Amino acid sequence: MLMTPVKPGKHCNLIVCSGCDLVVSKRALPSGVRAVCPQCNTPLYDKPYCALNGVMALCITAILLYIPAMIYPVLELHFLGSIRTSTVFDGAMAVWHQGYWVVGLGVLLGAVLAPAVLLCSILAQVLIVQTGWYRTKFGRDTLNGLLRYHGLISQLSMLEIYVISFLVTSFQLSDFADVYFGLGTLCFTLLFVVTLFLQREYNLEHMWGYVGEASDES
Amino acid sequence: MKPATKARGLDLGIYRCHVCGLLNDQHEQYCDRCHAKITPRDYRSLQSSWALLITAAILLVPANIYPITTLVKSGNVTHETIFSGILRLVHADLLPIAIIVFTASILVPWLKILGLGFYLSAITFKIPISKRKLTTGFHIIEWIGRWSMLDLFVISLSVALVNMGQLLDAQPAPAATAFALVILFTQLAAKTLDTRLLWDQLDKNDDNS
Repeated sequence: MLMTPVKPGKHCNLIVCSGCDLVVSKRALPSGVRAVCPQCNTPLYDKPYCALNGVMALCITAILLYIPAMIYPVLELHFLGSIRTSTVFDGAMAVWHQGYWVVGLGVLLGAVLAPAVLLCSILAQVLIVQTGWYRTKFGRDTLNGLLRYHGLISQLSMLEIYVISFLVTSFQLSDFADVYFGLGTLCFTLLFVVTLFLQREYNLEHMWGYVGEASDES
Repeated sequence: MKPATKARGLDLGIYRCHVCGLLNDQHEQYCDRCHAKITPRDYRSLQSSWALLITAAILLVPANIYPITTLVKSGNVTHETIFSGILRLVHADLLPIAIIVFTASILVPWLKILGLGFYLSAITFKIPISKRKLTTGFHIIEWIGRWSMLDLFVISLSVALVNMGQLLDAQPAPAATAFALVILFTQLAAKTLDTRLLWDQLDKNDDNS
């Protein structure tokens, strides 16, 4: 057992892999490169910062797109003169009312609730940081709480899968009837694209840095 | 990337916070930054992961045997299981769609359960096998697992759109719930597991050359 007497905060040039607990020395990375663990290939870290203004811009765009994506129908079915439309929410409720609430809840979480919570959470985080509010105790605790659940929420958000699913549905149903895409389809796809870039721009490690900074000051 | 040492954080007395990733000294009980409790290893996670995986494996049986949708077409009622739904797509000359659905609803769940079972046995029974390959497999399982939700999204949209009574109607059937639970439990099993337990084993056949 090797014991090195180190003070907290002195580990800044070291990193410990979350997957296999290997100690790795940190180095500067060229942009667009991600460091992975030499032993088990788990991602260790990437770019050292994120542009908060960019994140905020993408986040607001995504929130603006979210509203029509949920209000307008994503698919439209024409069958023998009758027209059926469905929004994402209708889809979840349709299975729920048939008694399959587990499935309905899954759809509701993956395609409606989690993306909304994710976007609101990122917006709140950026606002807390930008206004300097994270230096107060309440602001810091709020940021801490938001960051703690960020990983879970971004895993629950399944916009990309939903986009593929309405393509699959449209092909499946084209056997029986005519299927049309609506304005909701466009907005939902755009929402997916913007959220993709948002998640690419967002950096959790950077956000944790603000919590750390605030704890050091207090 | 080069490792600073071949040492584990546990040996050096540096514990990584599992919530925020900050490195803490071993004498600290709570993380300096996010105040989460510091646990050097989560040994219980192996058991919970096994339990969740076995639950998922049991649920996989009803998910595949029972019909997942009930279709009414001009008065004819047909029950479709996951597999027969894919066969119908193949016969309708929608091969690319059939492949997508097959991957999402058959290949991924089975691969996930078998792969996770293998990974967990490698930890529990100390099977000497390349840890690097196991971990690569684990990363793939973790990433691909969510895609099983595709089938449920498709069902929910179909059910919402196709409701014209005796003429044409689609309804979910019991397997849908079982399938949803399979996804939930396999994802939880992968998420609760502390992967460092695998790397803690003595390197009998060291593959880090």
